[in-house]
Amino acid sequence: MKPFEFQKANDENSAVEMAEKQSMYISGGTNLIDLMKNHIHEPDKLIDLTDALSSEISTTPNGVRIGAMARNTAVAEDSNIKSDFPLLSKAILKGASPQIRNMASTGGNLLQRTRCPYFYDTALPCNKRKPGSGCGALKGDHRMSAIIGYSDNCVAVHPSDMCVAMVALDAKVEILKNDGTSAMINFEDFHRLPGENPQRDNNLPEGAIITAIEIPENSFQKNFEYLKLRDRESYAFALISVAAALDISGNTIKSARLASGGVAHKPWRWNKAEIFLKDREATEENFKQAAEIAVADVKPLENNQFKVEMLKGAIQQALQNCLTNN
Amino acid sequence: MDYFFDKDFIDLEKGRVEAREKVTGKAKYSAEYDIPRLAHAVMAGSTIASGKILNINLEKAKEAPGVIEILTHQNRPEVPGLASEEAWKESRFSLPVFHTDKIYYSDQPIAMVIAETFEDATYAASLIDAEYEIQDFKADFDASEEKQYEETGEEIGSLSEWENSEYMVDAEYKVAMEVHNPMEPHATIASFDGDELTLYDKSQNVYGVQDLISKLFNFKTENIHVVSEFVGGGFGAGLLVWPHTVAAIMGAQQTGRPIKIVLTRPQMFTSVGHRPESWQRFKIASDAEGNFLGVHHQAAHPHDTYAGHWDNITGITRKVYEFPNIKTQQATKALNIPKPTWMRGPGDVTGAYGMESAVDELCEKLDMDPVEVRLKNLSTKDADGKPWSTNYLNECIKIGAEKIGWKSNWNSTPGAVSDGNWKIGYGMSAGLWNARRSKADASIEMKPDGSIIVRSAMTDIGTGTGTAMQNMAHTFLGIPKNKIAIELGDSDLPYAPSQGGSKGLSSLSGGISEASKAFKKKLAEYAFGSKIENDQGVFDIKLTAEGVSKDSNSEIISYRKIFEDNSLNRIYVETSSAPESEEEKEYSFCSAAAHFVKVRVNPLTGDVKVEKMIIVADGGKIINEMAAANQIIGAGIGGIGMVLMEDQKIDKKYGRLLGADLAGYHFPVNADAPMIDASFIGKPDYRRNPAGAKGLGEVGLVGNAAAITNAIYNAIGKRMRDLPVTPDKILMA
Repeated sequence: MKPFEFQKANDENSAVEMAEKQSMYISGGTNLIDLMKNHIHEPDKLIDLTDALSSEISTTPNGVRIGAMARNTAVAEDSNIKSDFPLLSKAILKGASPQIRNMASTGGNLLQRTRCPYFYDTALPCNKRKPGSGCGALKGDHRMSAIIGYSDNCVAVHPSDMCVAMVALDAKVEILKNDGTSAMINFEDFHRLPGENPQRDNNLPEGAIITAIEIPENSFQKNFEYLKLRDRESYAFALISVAAALDISGNTIKSARLASGGVAHKPWRWNKAEIFLKDREATEENFKQAAEIAVADVKPLENNQFKVEMLKGAIQQALQNCLTNN
Repeated sequence: MDYFFDKDFIDLEKGRVEAREKVTGKAKYSAEYDIPRLAHAVMAGSTIASGKILNINLEKAKEAPGVIEILTHQNRPEVPGLASEEAWKESRFSLPVFHTDKIYYSDQPIAMVIAETFEDATYAASLIDAEYEIQDFKADFDASEEKQYEETGEEIGSLSEWENSEYMVDAEYKVAMEVHNPMEPHATIASFDGDELTLYDKSQNVYGVQDLISKLFNFKTENIHVVSEFVGGGFGAGLLVWPHTVAAIMGAQQTGRPIKIVLTRPQMFTSVGHRPESWQRFKIASDAEGNFLGVHHQAAHPHDTYAGHWDNITGITRKVYEFPNIKTQQATKALNIPKPTWMRGPGDVTGAYGMESAVDELCEKLDMDPVEVRLKNLSTKDADGKPWSTNYLNECIKIGAEKIGWKSNWNSTPGAVSDGNWKIGYGMSAGLWNARRSKADASIEMKPDGSIIVRSAMTDIGTGTGTAMQNMAHTFLGIPKNKIAIELGDSDLPYAPSQGGSKGLSSLSGGISEASKAFKKKLAEYAFGSKIENDQGVFDIKLTAEGVSKDSNSEIISYRKIFEDNSLNRIYVETSSAPESEEEKEYSFCSAAAHFVKVRVNPLTGDVKVEKMIIVADGGKIINEMAAANQIIGAGIGGIGMVLMEDQKIDKKYGRLLGADLAGYHFPVNADAPMIDASFIGKPDYRRNPAGAKGLGEVGLVGNAAAITNAIYNAIGKRMRDLPVTPDKILMA
């Protein structure tokens, strides 16, 4: 690891004031430390946010507010989250391992970087790590790569499970910019697609920090599922994951949410499928059709065509599980 | 049979001898010895797979904090055994590390930074880069390429005898590259005191390290002391000496300081071997009653371009079943990849996957129960024609079938049993591993308080060797376990072969039994003033915590009195023991195992869960039930890894391993495995060794993979012939 300076910020405002060109923020460090060991990030200065950010999880008039420093485990095990936002709890518990969840922060979870193997090996080309060096995965091993929203410059996927639930639940990201002003970003607009600039994972302005996540109240306490398909049962990133939530009255779906991980450079909402499900009966046939609608838009790469079948099956299974799981 | 030891192994105190050291952190692994003036070394690897080093840029690294020295092929001390291509080839050492500008594979060590701290050395190593002349290379194994086969054993009968049988299967099977990656990374500390070299080296074979280092460096063996007292897993990765050990010695020569080198986790993937990926074609036929008529087994695997490797994949085909007609062939392909090596059950594990899958496919054609077909074809002799001394594979199969309720649960129609969207399937298979034994020495030393130390150079790679030594000494001598201390894993101790090939305990039992007899005789001589020569006399001698008696009816003479009367400080014996040639000539030896598995498969998502795994093993007499079950359970989890996830990928274009760390390469976690039911036949084989025990390290994995894939077939009616069976393969099949 390249030697670096370490500074501890006491509050949000002083944190953004400490930021410099070659500095980085650190909270849980569960991803950044690995990236530093692998020489993917070599900051001159680390600004520790653990004392600067709130770790509080509090109810608000319209939902819940999660401080950016709240650890993943704390969020997943919080009684409010478990009762009112159980999809979020379930998604978090499918991510990483208990040890990592104990350290990882909510804000940091949004900012974790792709696990594409070409990104992780500095001897291999990767436009995300080294713009202009090429995408090793495009014509190489891209079994884990994207099937929608990618570009020739980058086929990487966002690795988070938590974010898939958050995008499904219409969360908002509160940020503090280095000019001291704060802003709210819709979760769906927080992460971005690679396009011409795959080095940028999200729309967080330079020097800004995430201070909190807000999730509006919803009626998805009964019929929800986070289904994660992966190569092993724990500590493995999703091949495909599906966050599904249904608000059902009688057997009619009043509202549906459907999002996926492992498909794109950002957590992905299946809007068309959600619209299809609205006001329809919660039947196996409709679930199947919703899955067909979702996969109609995907374009797999040469060697990850299985993800189309898997996505279809996962959406179907997740929607079915919404009725029986909880 | 050796009546002398025909009694049950007493296993009252369940804990391992080293348990306290391990759980309190007192146990010292190779990287944990604190040596004054220790410097830390980290190797930098090539970023290309083939070519020549033109120039190595060291400027930035030299300026990094704490750097003492950087070794490359241009400035390293010359190692005589690597000085010329002839010397290197003769030494049979894998790689002329830092003695060549030639690049054989990506991540080949090109430089080694020596610094004051591990962190300094790691950072400086990251600053090294090189200019290369890049040459064309091939790093991916293409099974469809034409192969240059060689026969692996004599052809028996002919292919034409059976190739037209109505009941024939001809199928191809593939297994991905697997890595060992024991929890403890390989590490070496090399420390000179004048001409004397001490190596704290993670190894499964301390005498092997001593021997090779002596040859490479022209050091006297007696001047090389190799210590590997605690080993955090091996799986075969610690059987050979690897370049980092040689590099550590070079570093110590160059700097005059003790050098510690610990491989990084990514280096663990490229620097200490792997199980090569493989291809097999298995052709098998039977008559209508399920009697096997013939087999033609072909296999191929890649290896590196500099040292080579051979996995005997087709060997198992001549052992488990009787075939009147047999032909076996193998080929290899040299690629620009790191050197493969033996990995748990080398060859047989791969071959058994092909064989036991093909047998299952044949049973389906026959419309016969795979349990019945296997039972009627089991062999009575080894490939060389010698009869098995003992082989209870038939009992393993019968007991396993009983345990899983095969008759009532196995449905011969694939896909017949559902649970919601999930399909349920059962599968089984069998495996076998030659139960070898080598020469091993042991010593016993008694102190005046009546406590003893049993010593052997054998390493304990987590298998429970030390505990077994204590169990055996206790059983052979009668001295209580709390008076028996164990010393092992050190080349200053009596000779032992490698802890590999499932022969460690078997070899050691000979050494300890001989030492126990010799010790009893010597003790009796001191106690009673007369020699006891005949076996019955030795058998009759009784040892307790306090003293010794001629037999259970005689008066006990205390150790204290014996030591005082003879003015002794200690009583010491050291003996040697090797397998008896007569029995080696007449018999062949094997351990065996039967595997029974229940899976559930979701055809919608490709998800596979192993719900039940039952392994019944024949390991002769069981010395320590817990440690033995530990081996079988670990092997079963290894089987789950092999079938469902383990897959070390190589990028074809760049020749580099992809995702080579513990996040990218998936080993099974507890959540992937059910509670594995391991049990034993427990019948001794005293022809093998005085303990009657047969090795159990590998056999639990031999055949295991096919039991799982056969169960997957039973669940969904799809043959999975390409491991690992990740969800994508289920969906695309």
